[in-house]
Amino acid sequence: MSNPLADMEKPDVIFCIGTNMTEAHPVAATRLKKALARGARMIVADPRRIRLAEMADLYLPIRVGSDTALLLGMAHVIVREGLADSEFIATRTEGYDELVDHLQEKTPEWAESITGVPAAMIEEAAVLYGSSDRAAIYYTLGITEHICGVENVQSLCNLALLTGNFGREGTGVNPMRGQNNIQGAGDSGALPNNYVGFQPVDDAANQAKFEKAYGRKMDLEKGITKVTALDQCGDRIFAMLIDGENTVVSDPDQEHCIHALKSLEHLVVIDIFLTETAELADVVLPATSWAETDGNFVNTERRIQRVRKAVDPPGVARPDWWIIGQIAQRMGMSGMDFDSPVPIFNELCELSPIYAGIDWDLAEGGQYQWPIPYRGHPGTPRLHEDEFINGRGKFSFTDYRDPAETIDEAYPLWLTTGRRLESYHTRTQTGRSEGINQLLPEETLEVHPSDAARYGLHDGGWARMSSRRGAVDVRVETTRRSPQGTVFASFSFAEVPINVLTGSGYDPITHTAELKVCPVHVEPIAEGAQLAAD
Amino acid sequence: MNATMSDTRTTRTICGYCGVGCSLDLVTRDNRIIAVHPAFDGPANQGALCVKGQFAYDYVHHPDRLTHPLVRDEAGLLQRATWDEALQRAAQGFMDVEQKHGRHAVYGVASGRTPSEANYMMQKFIRVGFGTNYIDNCSRA
Repeated sequence: MSNPLADMEKPDVIFCIGTNMTEAHPVAATRLKKALARGARMIVADPRRIRLAEMADLYLPIRVGSDTALLLGMAHVIVREGLADSEFIATRTEGYDELVDHLQEKTPEWAESITGVPAAMIEEAAVLYGSSDRAAIYYTLGITEHICGVENVQSLCNLALLTGNFGREGTGVNPMRGQNNIQGAGDSGALPNNYVGFQPVDDAANQAKFEKAYGRKMDLEKGITKVTALDQCGDRIFAMLIDGENTVVSDPDQEHCIHALKSLEHLVVIDIFLTETAELADVVLPATSWAETDGNFVNTERRIQRVRKAVDPPGVARPDWWIIGQIAQRMGMSGMDFDSPVPIFNELCELSPIYAGIDWDLAEGGQYQWPIPYRGHPGTPRLHEDEFINGRGKFSFTDYRDPAETIDEAYPLWLTTGRRLESYHTRTQTGRSEGINQLLPEETLEVHPSDAARYGLHDGGWARMSSRRGAVDVRVETTRRSPQGTVFASFSFAEVPINVLTGSGYDPITHTAELKVCPVHVEPIAEGAQLAAD
Repeated sequence: MNATMSDTRTTRTICGYCGVGCSLDLVTRDNRIIAVHPAFDGPANQGALCVKGQFAYDYVHHPDRLTHPLVRDEAGLLQRATWDEALQRAAQGFMDVEQKHGRHAVYGVASGRTPSEANYMMQKFIRVGFGTNYIDNCSRA
């Protein structure tokens, strides 16, 4: 997030797009509820009439995968209506004149033709966002899990740059990170393009720095993403070490994923349960869980916070860092011999310019949000206050593209996938929590009543849902939460492996899968006739 | 046995589910979590927790937890092994693949669920071990 969580209580106008925050980030949503109670107004754009949409002053029911068109249409209106912040544009941005030309044809009527949202509502949203003093954007995977995820984010940045909504309280462009330490995973250098602290690997100075630190020659070329690595299994990739990811259930195109992992000569999985992924491994190594581990998590607002061991692990389970270090030492690697997480974190801080001002002891109280560039620096709750990292904020000339697959006669419905409040990801944890299982015992497919009637489905009955990659059987829930023509399910239940269906395309830059759009066909099946999900 | 309050311990930590990073106190007794208390001084949550953070902790003590390393035997079955056997098998497999297919044949996937120290070790394993950038985390799917 560009701004701290505390700022969520401060905007005059809130714009939520592609975020089901009350279910996926419920506690953050309480901050927005406080802002609304104070009188803030809220715009919500989402294909589904989610809880957040019910709370909104203006709800824009966009067709799945049409976000860029909506955002371009809003930018057009902001410029046309003279709502752009000319001082901010003059002093902090570049490319405005080209943007104005680029937006010429992106009228709200054009946006309506793609998104299905009436032009008048697009105009109303643009005026509301563009005329407030403090407007903040919040988004989640509904923006990024598309083949045009990068364009979606750039289009959001355009809106904030146009209106000067960066670097001030209650503003910003704020992605809500989905996992407890997904931010920390990137910060720590677990990326094919960056060393720790987002230092590019293809920069010769960085290469030299890490060759010295790690005592060996390093590739100057970027590595490949996990998506590419899975594509190359059995061809160019022959061994994998997977830590704490249930790839088989969480990733798109399940059949392809299982085939990829099975074609490896050597697969080692570190986890706390024998997940569907661990079952494919040659070696499974038992890790400590969250309550049994000392270390640091980094949250969505870049805050570094200490996690502490409260109970002993079962059996002989050991911390992930210890397991990885032990494998490394048996391979003769140096610099992998650590006896606690403390020197590991301190080494990370020493090599990371954004953590340079802290160490294990200073991180104890959880008050630091990176960047913390030097000792004595207080941390940076709000980014971009005086200038952007690269100086000026660049406008992006984005354009709308259709999703990788679009609906047709054979696959006439849009499937969009997501999360539910009571389950977390592939349910390896929440599925083993008794109370949670009572709240949400099984997956259902949200179907609009008119679609149910059209395809012969009944509330509580079963449907077989197919895409170009496979089929799953799922119980039907008729509801007006999903609009006509769009169905929804979560990917959480291994018994209803929704990711058998997904995997139509990937963002060409980030390789993020288009998990939010998948054309499907549905048909009724009799109770008891379901496919066996293994 | 009558447990008393003096048998319980409280440990301040951070919720392990989403990226909001709510502070909470784990209340434990006899090496088991018996309650989760939201932290009113938590900077991200100010005393709030969701249904997962507040209640979905019993997986920690679930009988399905992996308690020992497992190694696949010649019949293709995962069998219980000692740490030494399993770590040696893990290490040997990576060395064999590197020797046979080169250093770009080994790939690492780090977790968005583990602490940063584990992520740092994962990327260092690949970079120190193979000199490549063949490392990623689960943020793309």
